[in-house]
Amino acid sequence: MFDVLPIPVPWYVVGPLMGLTVAGLYAVTNKHLGISGAYVQVVDFSRGRPVETWRLWFLAGTVLGAAAVAMLGGHPQAGWGYGALGEYLSLPALVATLFAGGVLVGFGARWAGACTSGHGLTGCATRSRGSLVAVMTFMVTAVAVTLLLHALTGGEL
Amino acid sequence: MTRLSAVCGLFGAAFGFLFASVGFNQYDVIHRMLLLKDITPFLVMGSAMGTALPILWLLERRRWRTPLGGNLTLRRWSVEPKHVWGGVIFGSGWAITGACPGTASTTLGAGSLMGLVLIAGMVAGIALRDAFAERQVVPTSEPLAEPARS
Repeated sequence: MFDVLPIPVPWYVVGPLMGLTVAGLYAVTNKHLGISGAYVQVVDFSRGRPVETWRLWFLAGTVLGAAAVAMLGGHPQAGWGYGALGEYLSLPALVATLFAGGVLVGFGARWAGACTSGHGLTGCATRSRGSLVAVMTFMVTAVAVTLLLHALTGGEL
Repeated sequence: MTRLSAVCGLFGAAFGFLFASVGFNQYDVIHRMLLLKDITPFLVMGSAMGTALPILWLLERRRWRTPLGGNLTLRRWSVEPKHVWGGVIFGSGWAITGACPGTASTTLGAGSLMGLVLIAGMVAGIALRDAFAERQVVPTSEPLAEPARS
């Protein structure tokens, strides 16, 4: 909307600040920063299990923080867009693919106990061995599957 | 709203802002990273870990007392098969969608309707995993605190 924030902001600015966010949340609240746990709360709530509300507040914060970035610097996926995948697939196929892929992401994150933030960022920063194994596994898998998709689509993805 | 909720909301806002400011909420950015065509996202992750790790190490050593959550206890998990199996499935979904759970909430926040589809899929996946875990009477993936190492 305002076009004052050049995206991407340089990594050497954002990376350390992201690290401070992870350490700061731990230092102030004793909470392990992670996103997938917030979605787990939705399932727990629907089954009448106790809910960790702080996770939902954190998730709501990420939505607002990203909205601020979009206002200051725009977002190429606003509306119906989805980058190169959105151009490659028709809208119904895109929705089906994102839902099915999302199921895999949720299933895997629940099984492994955390995702790219809980294991990847925070788990590695607490020197958690299980997190390190999870991160190495999902990184290698994701690169391999991405290269496979690249080959299968004749280089279009 | 409690003080803890407000503080977590603020940290979430900071995290979401930073996340989106490097384009982690964009398919093209994540996809180029996973194609190994752009290493910038790795530098973001690496420098974030490199910043958080020594701070948390020092706070733990100093037996830091957090203002809102008692004594600092860093969560750690010992290596288990679930980290590999879950990692393989998670990594596959991540490659297909270019989205991790953080991408989903932040692309939605930035105005993408596909964020809703991603979140619906992820919640369904979590519910499915829980259903499987209950049928197999396998322990669910609850975080188990490991004793702090000195």
